[in-house]
Amino acid sequence: MKDLTGTDIVQEPVMRRDFLKVLGVGGVAATAVGCYSDQVEKLIPYVSSPDNTVPGVSTYYASTCRECPVGCGIIVETRDGRAIKIEGNPDHPVNRGALCGRGQSALQGLYNPDRYQAPMKRQGNALVATTWEDAISTLAGKLAEAKKAGGGSAVFINQHEQGSFPGFLDGWLAGFGMPAHLSVDAEAPLSAIAANRQSFSTAWPKHDFSAAKLVVSFGADFLDAWGLPVPQQVDFAEARGKIDGAPRVIYVGPRRSLTGLNADTWIPARSGALQAVAEAVGAAVTGKGNAALTSAAEQAGVPVESLESLVAELKSVKPSLLLAGGSDANATATAAAVNELNKALGNIGLTIKPSEGSLAFDGLASHAALRDATERMAAGSVSVAFVRGADPAHAMPGGTKFGEAFAKVPFKVSFSSYPDATTQLCDLVLPDHHSLESWGDAETVRGTLSLQQPTMDPVFNTRATADVLIAVAKADAQLAGKYPTDYRAFIAGRVGGNAGLTKALPTGLTKGSSLASPAAKTISAKAGPTGDGEYFLHVYTSPVVGDGRGANKPWLQELPDPVTKIAWQTVVEIHPDTARKLGVAEGEHVTVTTTTGTLSAPAYLYIGIRPDTVAVATGRGHTAYGRYANGCGSNAMSLLGVAEDARSGQFVLSGVRASLAKAAGKSRMVTTEGSARQHDRGIAQAVTLEQLKHGEGVVHAHVFTGQAKTEFLPGLRAPVANDAQGDLGDPKSGEKGQYDPNHWSGAAKRRWAMVVDLARCTGCSACVTACYAENNIPTVGAPWQGPQFWPDRTGFGANVTRNREMAWIRLERYFEIDREPKDVEFNPDFDTRVIPMMCQHCGNAPCEPVCPVYATYHSPDGLNVQVYNRCVGTRYCSNGCPYKVRYFNWFGFGETDRAQYAFPEPLNWQLNPDVTVRGKGVMEKCTFCVQRIREAEHRARAEDRELEPDEFTVACAQACPSRAIVFGDAADEQWAVSKLIDDSRAYHVFEELNTYTAVVYLRKINHPSSLTTAKA
Amino acid sequence: MATLAEPGLDHNDGPKRPNIARAGLQLPAVKDYAQVDREIIATLRPTKAWFTLLMASITCLGIGAASWIYQIYSGLGVAGYSPPVMWGVYIITFVFWIGIGHAGTLISAILYLFRAGFRTTIYRCAEAMTVFAVMTAGLFPIIHIGRPWKFFWLIPYPNWRLLWPNFKSPLVWDVFAISTYLTISVTFLFIGLLPDIATLRDAEKNPIKKQMLSLLSFGWRNSENEWRHFARAYLFLAAFSTPLVLSVHSVVSFDFSMALVPGWHTTIFAPYFVAGAIFSGMGMVYTIIIPIRKFFKLEHYVTLNVMDAGAKLTLFTSMVVGCAYIVEFFIAWYGGVKVEQEYFYNRVFGQWWYAAWIMLTCNMILPLSLFSQKLRRNPTWLFILSLFINIGMWFERFVIIVPGLSHEFEPWQWSGYRPTWVDFGILLGSFGWFFMWFLLFIKQLPVIAIAEVKEIVPPRTRKSAAHVHAGGH
Repeated sequence: MKDLTGTDIVQEPVMRRDFLKVLGVGGVAATAVGCYSDQVEKLIPYVSSPDNTVPGVSTYYASTCRECPVGCGIIVETRDGRAIKIEGNPDHPVNRGALCGRGQSALQGLYNPDRYQAPMKRQGNALVATTWEDAISTLAGKLAEAKKAGGGSAVFINQHEQGSFPGFLDGWLAGFGMPAHLSVDAEAPLSAIAANRQSFSTAWPKHDFSAAKLVVSFGADFLDAWGLPVPQQVDFAEARGKIDGAPRVIYVGPRRSLTGLNADTWIPARSGALQAVAEAVGAAVTGKGNAALTSAAEQAGVPVESLESLVAELKSVKPSLLLAGGSDANATATAAAVNELNKALGNIGLTIKPSEGSLAFDGLASHAALRDATERMAAGSVSVAFVRGADPAHAMPGGTKFGEAFAKVPFKVSFSSYPDATTQLCDLVLPDHHSLESWGDAETVRGTLSLQQPTMDPVFNTRATADVLIAVAKADAQLAGKYPTDYRAFIAGRVGGNAGLTKALPTGLTKGSSLASPAAKTISAKAGPTGDGEYFLHVYTSPVVGDGRGANKPWLQELPDPVTKIAWQTVVEIHPDTARKLGVAEGEHVTVTTTTGTLSAPAYLYIGIRPDTVAVATGRGHTAYGRYANGCGSNAMSLLGVAEDARSGQFVLSGVRASLAKAAGKSRMVTTEGSARQHDRGIAQAVTLEQLKHGEGVVHAHVFTGQAKTEFLPGLRAPVANDAQGDLGDPKSGEKGQYDPNHWSGAAKRRWAMVVDLARCTGCSACVTACYAENNIPTVGAPWQGPQFWPDRTGFGANVTRNREMAWIRLERYFEIDREPKDVEFNPDFDTRVIPMMCQHCGNAPCEPVCPVYATYHSPDGLNVQVYNRCVGTRYCSNGCPYKVRYFNWFGFGETDRAQYAFPEPLNWQLNPDVTVRGKGVMEKCTFCVQRIREAEHRARAEDRELEPDEFTVACAQACPSRAIVFGDAADEQWAVSKLIDDSRAYHVFEELNTYTAVVYLRKINHPSSLTTAKA
Repeated sequence: MATLAEPGLDHNDGPKRPNIARAGLQLPAVKDYAQVDREIIATLRPTKAWFTLLMASITCLGIGAASWIYQIYSGLGVAGYSPPVMWGVYIITFVFWIGIGHAGTLISAILYLFRAGFRTTIYRCAEAMTVFAVMTAGLFPIIHIGRPWKFFWLIPYPNWRLLWPNFKSPLVWDVFAISTYLTISVTFLFIGLLPDIATLRDAEKNPIKKQMLSLLSFGWRNSENEWRHFARAYLFLAAFSTPLVLSVHSVVSFDFSMALVPGWHTTIFAPYFVAGAIFSGMGMVYTIIIPIRKFFKLEHYVTLNVMDAGAKLTLFTSMVVGCAYIVEFFIAWYGGVKVEQEYFYNRVFGQWWYAAWIMLTCNMILPLSLFSQKLRRNPTWLFILSLFINIGMWFERFVIIVPGLSHEFEPWQWSGYRPTWVDFGILLGSFGWFFMWFLLFIKQLPVIAIAEVKEIVPPRTRKSAAHVHAGGH
């Protein structure tokens, strides 16, 4: 089998070990006789290795991330023909080197074990595998019929993707007489887009956080899933990282999302009242009087003083940046009012730049259009339906009954790579290549075309949809001549042919030719009944698994939600006040009932939600989305009926009335949280700007004494602490030990260290996924990863309920409250601290002396090293560790022959060959990405030079969209980290334990003001 | 063989001052050597009840072995660990059995050096208990580790990689402490057994068994010279084991006090653990000796005076342990370390209240009943109390290990702990293992030291009995 480039496609599942064996044998054979055996041909990713590739040395491809519409630039690291890691492209104007967890998890989509491995065709009730020839001729036949019949009744639903594909697709559809496709995205911020189009004539202006002195968000979760998450976070952290002149943030909304937790003030306005608040505040700010404030405050359920102080602050602090998201029935009106207010405050051009906006949402169809298509399907007036990438049967509100309607279409074609709720209803499945296997482009920044290129041969027998469309068109005599040979040629045509393509691919960027963005057809929206329950339902898009598309990736399933810290589970978030009223304890099930549906799930007591509001995240409760998603959690969308925001056609997710009742059953929370507060232990510290300026609250107790390279004094600058283990030299012979900085080997002249700036860190958790990807960390939450006989707990997340998750870096989220959350009464005025916690690489590490076999010891360059092969698993090191950052392999998560194996074929293709996959019974922990350190050192040595300052960095620092993590050599003044540790905000966690950690935290900056929300 | 009078049981059972080792007063119902031989050798006859108990023990052992095999195959995840509670039932049970192993040596060695007469009839039993308890305890570090097939890496053996264990690690000290203790205990037990094995050999009719016993007794001929060497060797070993009683459990306590864990990192641990060990050992001695004296009809050897004296030792160690508990709380308050204070609060009034109160009730409060002489001389009560002490001491180790780890410096990593059937299966298996050996022992070798009892039997029959029965042919 050949793919489009003529390269042989690897089909047989390959074990890494076999691969290496054969690589060795095959290499010898190739040299000796100049040909390969049959077996070798099947096993080696490259049959004939491309020029300039060296086994064991990575090749990097620039491409574009397709996990959401933002269009971040990515660099895909491939090793011997396999993509092993995705990183942000530092040269890309959108994300500037950062990448979120979802983007990095694209790899687990590529290697998803549940992907379709061949085209499928319905026979009776089942989909059975077929050949591409058969599948394409079936499709071509059906299309010929449709074309004859006029084709007007076809519906093509495509997951919104910006670039030239939508235009290509519409052209193709037109060729068969079919209407333009629906470019849908369940997560899209349609209300803001509609309001922006109205106010600024662009879908998405640039929001310049750095220019703002005050940021007010009306339900716009710009650090969660709203808008352009990564670029917004990069900008936001850049702004907050300025310290002096950093913007204050005020969040208005019914629930403190991650954005809300990063805000300095929370005005807990009721869902549905944001429009009234925005308009009243607007009126007051523009001098039309404060009259409306009282009624708005009443409607929002907040004290009028809080709105008055918001007005006062808006009047005095300029420039400001006001954002409106929200997904209630009048979200667009809210956004429009906020845009007007931005205009009135003179923010346009300063903090809001319509001309520099993003094109990511161009061509997006509204939710109403999708609902309209659903109604046509239900009425039986759709003859043929196509769906690609989207899963409306899961992601649309239950009230639309998409599944039932879709089933009525006589012929349904899916281009989905994965089985899902929609695809399983289809008659023909033509699995698409993954975005990492196919060509494409995006132009989300005007004038810059970001290319998407295949980074490896296809994993399975799939085909790029564009190529399938071309093949089908070629079967039609009229259309055949209009198409290039394949989609690659089409893309090349956009960038000046093959030469242009070759030139553009190394950076992945080229000059764009302004795309014509097809105008979305306006469909009149339907307002739905709000119901009459006692509570307001607030369904929000999960910042981790999104609308559900992330749920088949174990990295995302196991990544705790940055706010609730829940993984592998759907919970109903209620305030402790509400819980007390209902007599519900955390984990006990509650039933949420709306006019459309009911949902029973464990209660999660969240202090950052209004007591009259119930929140449920989207994204779980799949029925046909593979082994990691099916049966995990519940689908929040099932609670929602047909109701849309009249102006934008956005589904109403928030503000629907619901009733709440205690239900039978109790579940363990699948959470990584131990205690929600720090108990005054000074783990995540903060100062205010005022204190910092006056030197208050700044403790200079941390000692960075000792001259690098000359002294063995305890402290960060010293290569190792004075009582570090190891050979310190022989005083008699005068020979210096390896740990002496003056030893000839130079092994001890460096002290690897890390600085984490808590003023920048938002808690987004992208670093966690980066660490999973880089370090082959197993996920442990799948139901089959527990004991096989008589387990005391089964189901998703069973191991996580026992705290057995393996994340080497974790985000601790502490609320600054004086009692346990369950005992808290509603008070919107609480501070939240997030702190990434990983191995602190103590200079005087408590884990080292207790290990009986030297499995953990101190390296001369200051690393706390873990030798997996030597570890016998006494777990004594973990007891010694005050930071609790050591993780044990309770099962054979890394052993292929175990039920608990975390990387079922072909997920194991992603494994980083530079990092050992750990077997059962050994300890592991953050290594400071020692493989990257050594790689850089070896490269430098090979090139006969010294390491350059900041030449490389660790995986978490590289991914961090906030740029909060800086890694480097603290013993060398040239490195950035060595300057940052002298910051007046610097501290070590648990400094009093004399551990001399190599991780330095910089205190968070709090921005209090006169705007103190009165107690509600 | 001289004609021997049947001794009548003295229901008065001696004076109220039991510790005076005076011939004729200690064991008034034991009249002569022949009676000693006859009565003690009679205990070696297997009975149905014994066989049933042995089968029950082997069944328990089987359950434990099956659980362990399953655990080795699957990984430690099948046990109930909840990080950061990385040590659980296995280390608890390890310390529990090591502790039990201490009473034996205390009774056989320290009390021997102190010439405490009441030890005579119970020391053999206690010492056998020690050996088997240490054998049981020694399994647990291996059961506990993640890769048990690599346990020998903890032992310093010559290898071409020149890799040695980390001598800074208390776990390596443990390896030395336990192996030393086991070696010395076995040697001590065996040396003490020599004259008794000779006695058995003489009484044995089966030629094969006789041959084996003959070998085991090293051809003991009851000569003056042999007795002289025996006495010196015994005294030497007693002196040698005495510091071990103190050091082994101190070393075990270092496993905890060397780590930074709040509630572990304290200097009181060594004496606290030693006292606790002796206390728990006394508990187990009673659990074993009371049924033995009843079912083997040895009430006139293990007299109420002996019970009484042992109970006083139990009471004393209980009070030492109780004092240690109080000092721990005091230091937590006095030291002013907030993390430690919160840990102790959580231990008693928080998450782990039930374990802490089981511990305090069983180890501190119930033993206070031993201030009553009536209860000290009531074997039923002593037996019930001994069971409580065993439970209490197991929970003491639970309270030290689990709450400490579950409530450390990092509040984000606080957790709970729920043992699974594998934990309990292996715990049960350890009792099966221990009792299997013990039951086999008591039917093969005398559970009361024949030679030592003879030393204090009233002298009127000494000449003939010594000549005829102690191996002189």
